[in-house]
Amino acid sequence: MSRADTCLPEQLALLPGPIVSRYLSEGVRSGADEPPRVALIRESKPLADTGVRWATAPVRGLLDEAMRRFADRRTRADAWLAPRLHATIRMTRAEAAEPELWAYLAMVVAPDYVVWRHKGAVGKDGGSPSATGDRFLGPHYKQAFARLWWAAEMFRDGEDYRPAEVACSNQDMVNTTLRLSVVDHRPTARALVRVLESLTAAETSLLGDKVNALSSAVNAAGCTLMYEVLAPDEPLHLDGLMGWIRDAEWSASVPWDRLPEGPDDGPVPQQSVDRLTSYFEELLQAAPVRQRKGAEGSGPQGGVSLAKLGE
Amino acid sequence: MRSTVSYRTLAGDVRLEVASAKIDSHDLPYSRISREQQTVALHEVERARWDEARFEVRVTLPEREIAEGPWEDVVCVAVLAEGATNARSVTRLAPTQQGAWTGRVHMARAMHRNRAVLTASVVATVGGVPGRVIGGTERPWYLDLAARDPRRERELNIIEVDFRDGPEQWLRPFKEAPWLVDATGDMPTVRLNTAFEGVIDLLNGSGSPVEKAMRDVVAAQIAEEAWTAMFHSAVTDLDFDEDGTPRLPSGWRGAVLRSMLPEVVPAASLESALHEVHKRRNDGQSWSEMQASIQYAAARRSKVAKGLRDAVRVLDRVDEGARR
Repeated sequence: MSRADTCLPEQLALLPGPIVSRYLSEGVRSGADEPPRVALIRESKPLADTGVRWATAPVRGLLDEAMRRFADRRTRADAWLAPRLHATIRMTRAEAAEPELWAYLAMVVAPDYVVWRHKGAVGKDGGSPSATGDRFLGPHYKQAFARLWWAAEMFRDGEDYRPAEVACSNQDMVNTTLRLSVVDHRPTARALVRVLESLTAAETSLLGDKVNALSSAVNAAGCTLMYEVLAPDEPLHLDGLMGWIRDAEWSASVPWDRLPEGPDDGPVPQQSVDRLTSYFEELLQAAPVRQRKGAEGSGPQGGVSLAKLGE
Repeated sequence: MRSTVSYRTLAGDVRLEVASAKIDSHDLPYSRISREQQTVALHEVERARWDEARFEVRVTLPEREIAEGPWEDVVCVAVLAEGATNARSVTRLAPTQQGAWTGRVHMARAMHRNRAVLTASVVATVGGVPGRVIGGTERPWYLDLAARDPRRERELNIIEVDFRDGPEQWLRPFKEAPWLVDATGDMPTVRLNTAFEGVIDLLNGSGSPVEKAMRDVVAAQIAEEAWTAMFHSAVTDLDFDEDGTPRLPSGWRGAVLRSMLPEVVPAASLESALHEVHKRRNDGQSWSEMQASIQYAAARRSKVAKGLRDAVRVLDRVDEGARR
């Protein structure tokens, strides 16, 4: 297709932060220049592990398909891509917490995707529009690919990716809620998505603002309430996770038109989710909803406000 | 426990102790568990791959206060968390007859990366509201996956590596440098260049007073560069609230700012100091003037002045000896 197919290395690798900084020019961030792939590959470090799960071709294929499918509504690509990326690069959280892996993906495998998805609508100080540096190398809730992998990880319900797909269809869930540590508790994350689902079904106005108000209220209440005691989770079945990761060796690539299956590390306990859902709904009733500038655009269809279109 | 909440919380201390630990089925030597440092060192060269660590924990509560207080359904839990992997697991502990709460905390290797934090919380029903946090440990335990010694202080990661012929290609252009400070990752790292003759020996050596003085000066210089790099990295990676207010970052970046900001920008609060630094950095006004304060704050932390003063004294003496 493009130069992306030429000399794409077979396996993912690690790209140290200082190297990213050296090559992350304004030209690269705006898409005017291509990062020097040969130099970047030379300066990257191989992964300790080899295996099909680290292959670059399946990821590249997914990203090309996402850019094709969502050519004129790029924020929608998140909901489609997050579960499929998660099921393609199968790994543990210990492995996913490696910023150098995500940096390699952004600088070597798919800089064009980062720019396509995150280029702003207008440039700063009259320059050309560009993606910010933290989309290439940044925290898990900012980096272009890490945010999707972690959103799928935090919002899935065992092997069921549907809640993650719902969460990623709302930019405020991925941009704001994902960074809150309350979602480290699975029933809390699941209940937040439940509330989002009922807000969406009711075609609520100012959906994005309500999601932000909900997240803030849940986070604030979580300072004095321990959700883990009110609504306990089950220990994760890590054997299910490790088996799913091993299966990457022979599994077919992820389906494009239906959701893949995630790791079977146990469902989130229903009773706990029910309890938190009704509590969160009460919190939302009482929460002040702060209306953003330009919030008229945040209709129920995806919750993308005008202010966020450039992200 | 903060006293700003609207219900009554515990005044007495909650103390957590890790009594013993196992990695898979092997007992972790007691030397790896430091009560004083409240740290467990989990890295074992001979057992690099493991699946699960287990910790026997024991928590003591102010029992009399609890018995006399307004709290119902009191439970005590151990909380194991690590920001880097967004991992958080809560284990209910069981009360024993001796007035302590005990239990076993499981830590899966797959869920953790670097250093996990272990705390205890006391939860109760207060005024009809269940699940209220009424107390917790003041000082957490660290469960360190990368450390061989149980030491709490771990501000810097120090690695010895050959810049010229080592495995990390990207260090080659820096082969003439004795060291390199990198504050872009999840841990600030100093790489010492083994290809630069003498630098490792100098830093490890004690030897004569002159060698010792030199070592202190060089160590202080590295530390100063590290503090400066960490400060810049921390103010570059800021996040913002909806109204544009910069937020104090988490992890080491937050710790660095909390420590250095009051000296760099004398302001009423940490928040306003952060705001000020961000503003100056963004519009460039008086940003270069601020460099002097950043450097000074970094130097103070690195004991540069002390190292230099001692060195000058030692060198003076050597000088005198030579003249005599």
